[in-house]
Amino acid sequence: MIVAQFSDIGYVALLAALLVSAYSAVAAIVGRRVPALLTSAYRGVIAVASLVTLAALVLWLSLLNHDFGLRFVAETSSRSMDTLALLSAFWGGQEGSLLFWATMQALLMVLVLWKHRAQYPHLMPVIVAVLLSVQTFFLFVLTMVSNPFERVPLAPGDGRGLNPLLLDAGMRIHPPLLLTGYMSFSVPFAFAIAALVTGDLGRSWLKALRGWVLLSWAIQGAGLLMGAWWAYHVLGWGGYWGWDPVENAALLPWLIATALLHSIMVQERRGMLKVWNLGLAIGAFVLAVFGTFVVRSGVISSVHSFSLSVIGPYFFAFLTIVVLGAAGLLIYRLPSLKAEGHFDALLSREAGFLANNWLLLAVAGATFWGTIFPLLSEAIQGTKVAIGPQFYKQVNGPIFLGLIVLMGIGPLLAWRRTSRPSLLHNFTWPVVAAVAVTLALLALLGFATAGAAIAYGACTFVLGAIALEFARGVRTRKRAGSGPLRALRSLVAANRRRYGGYIVHLGIVAVAFGVIGSSFFQQTADIQLRPGESYTIGRYKVTYSGLSSYREPGVDAVAAALRVEGGNTSTLQLQAEKRVYTNWEQQPVTGVAIGTTFPWLDDVYILLTDSSTSGAAQVASFRIFINPLVSLIWFGGLLLLAGTVVAVWPHGLAVRRALPTTVPVPGGSLADA
Amino acid sequence: MLRTLTLRASAALLLAWVLVWLLPTSALAQSQDQDLNQKVREIALTLRCPVCQNLSVADSPSQLATEMRAVIRQKLEAGASREEITQYFVQNYGNGILLDPPKEGFTLLIWLGAALAVVAGGLLMVVRVRSALASKAISTLPGECALPIVERDRYEAMLDAELSLYKSGEF
Repeated sequence: MIVAQFSDIGYVALLAALLVSAYSAVAAIVGRRVPALLTSAYRGVIAVASLVTLAALVLWLSLLNHDFGLRFVAETSSRSMDTLALLSAFWGGQEGSLLFWATMQALLMVLVLWKHRAQYPHLMPVIVAVLLSVQTFFLFVLTMVSNPFERVPLAPGDGRGLNPLLLDAGMRIHPPLLLTGYMSFSVPFAFAIAALVTGDLGRSWLKALRGWVLLSWAIQGAGLLMGAWWAYHVLGWGGYWGWDPVENAALLPWLIATALLHSIMVQERRGMLKVWNLGLAIGAFVLAVFGTFVVRSGVISSVHSFSLSVIGPYFFAFLTIVVLGAAGLLIYRLPSLKAEGHFDALLSREAGFLANNWLLLAVAGATFWGTIFPLLSEAIQGTKVAIGPQFYKQVNGPIFLGLIVLMGIGPLLAWRRTSRPSLLHNFTWPVVAAVAVTLALLALLGFATAGAAIAYGACTFVLGAIALEFARGVRTRKRAGSGPLRALRSLVAANRRRYGGYIVHLGIVAVAFGVIGSSFFQQTADIQLRPGESYTIGRYKVTYSGLSSYREPGVDAVAAALRVEGGNTSTLQLQAEKRVYTNWEQQPVTGVAIGTTFPWLDDVYILLTDSSTSGAAQVASFRIFINPLVSLIWFGGLLLLAGTVVAVWPHGLAVRRALPTTVPVPGGSLADA
Repeated sequence: MLRTLTLRASAALLLAWVLVWLLPTSALAQSQDQDLNQKVREIALTLRCPVCQNLSVADSPSQLATEMRAVIRQKLEAGASREEITQYFVQNYGNGILLDPPKEGFTLLIWLGAALAVVAGGLLMVVRVRSALASKAISTLPGECALPIVERDRYEAMLDAELSLYKSGEF
């Protein structure tokens, strides 16, 4: 006799969603001619979203109720986990991650439908059909191949628990952000396909497309930064980005979206790069699906795990269909995708954007190549090779440098053609400042770190260019009598896209400062200390005071108390821990002690590597890193998000009354520059 | 004139850049007067921790990596060179122990592939812009007039227009 379980509701909901989703996708296409079917398809979207959300809720409840009869629950949670940890166990495994992806995409579909249904009645059927097809694929995988509601015959008394590395707070935010980012790339993709299918290749939907790309870009960017923050605080190797396949896979769609955000402006202003932009929107989605697939399955580490992975062939087939279908459509529409304008000069805004796209795609290409190369090597040569961080640093480092320089030049170039006087007018002071900083750093630090001197010079150039831009705007407004702060505010308010963009660029520069500082000037030492002894590293003296231990449900921990002095900063009290979790004894987790010093902004990063609590000696081994400027990376990340918010903030809130935003200017509004 | 100069300069820059990649990695990482710790770390940074996912022996907190660092230190103290130590680990663990693909044999492909992608992309871009420039005509979009082009001027015009409103007290 079969007894129905609570979790079966989830599975039935997924099955029903699969059927409704497949039906509605077809109905939406046919509905372009039969209005009644179209209405039914749109209702189907809401039905799918409700059913998938129901399934997600059932999985969450099963986790909270410790239903270890579910294989997924038994593998990702245990009784000793608290409520928050149980809730985040949802994305602790492949099945849950895919379900989360599908749920978020279903909800996003409702949002897209609600927002654009009346606005783009001719595009909407195709957009909905594409989004539903993607959803149908994920539901198929969830019901047939990678089922989160699979039951085991004999429920264990307790689950295995989540990998302790994933118990950190960063893990509660980072994976859902990335999964949400990944799935959100399906909207720009759907817009691109809808444009190609309907033949509406004009500009009417460009603004909406740009909005969705910006949203995906921001979510994915936040996810990447959270991932870096998590790695820095939890993994304990002193760094935040290791060019690991999973990190690379998440970076790729973000890079493509960054390129698209820039090149789309060329299409808005000049009607150029149409094929290119559609290609980027499609490419970003393909890479996002690739990333979703890579992130949990571990396929990239070996050809064998690829062929062994159950979901591998399905994802591969799906990606093939997407790539071939999209490429076919693009070729079919090629004749109607003629550019309206063309390049007038090498020194022009549009050429700057083109160079930006070239460099961003070069980073993406090199990163993709490095990520899949081990697979190729194993398939062709039979031997595995490792592609370590050095490859990426050596190849991508200079490209990023080029991008930074371009970030200073690009915004000051005029559309079409930049005159030489305006070039001199804009660039003299930033260039002088950049050269001065580079020479000063060379004199101060020597030629061994010439790379850092040059990179900081480039950053100075960008800062100078942006500062000049703000200063001129504010000065002009101040002349009219308002205070500097008010002038700044009204300046930004009148030109959100432009100044939001500048703030994002400032954020990128801050991140670059941190990355350059920590990659060129990191110091490290492995030491052994007795209580009361100290060690001097750089300008800091680290003193070890002693060990203590404590016990919490599911955890045994040893903590070493440390004091950091020197560098004219106030004394820091830090605690480095080593935690051993039940069921995961082989994998002790380090509680890294991190303290940021002022005004140097050095991170003192201390790891407890070994300790003996037995006896009175309490000898402990530490690994100490001095990571300069890493905190600027997190600050830059916040600036990046703030800039995005400024750029997308809807017009007409509060400031609109204060400022006339529609000023008659010959040649159109600059607000979309 | 300026145009050809810029093109040549960018071509030279591209070439120099790619050449830098093909230098041996160690030549870039070398610096004078390091203490033993630094030397151990530099060698350990080039070796992959065999029991971790994508971490170097220098960065890995694992037991095995700690032991490997001790081996490197011993060998350095015994006077072994960087190459000898690397060779020792390759003999024991195979080529897979190297974190960075050697710039020779099959793995040279990865460096060449990356270089090719960058250069091809750059050339494609330059060719595209050039062919458009060759037509010389100033392009206009339907519904747009060919105005004085300098964006900044328009931008400042916009500011001035706002300012005059400001002064006339319409705020």
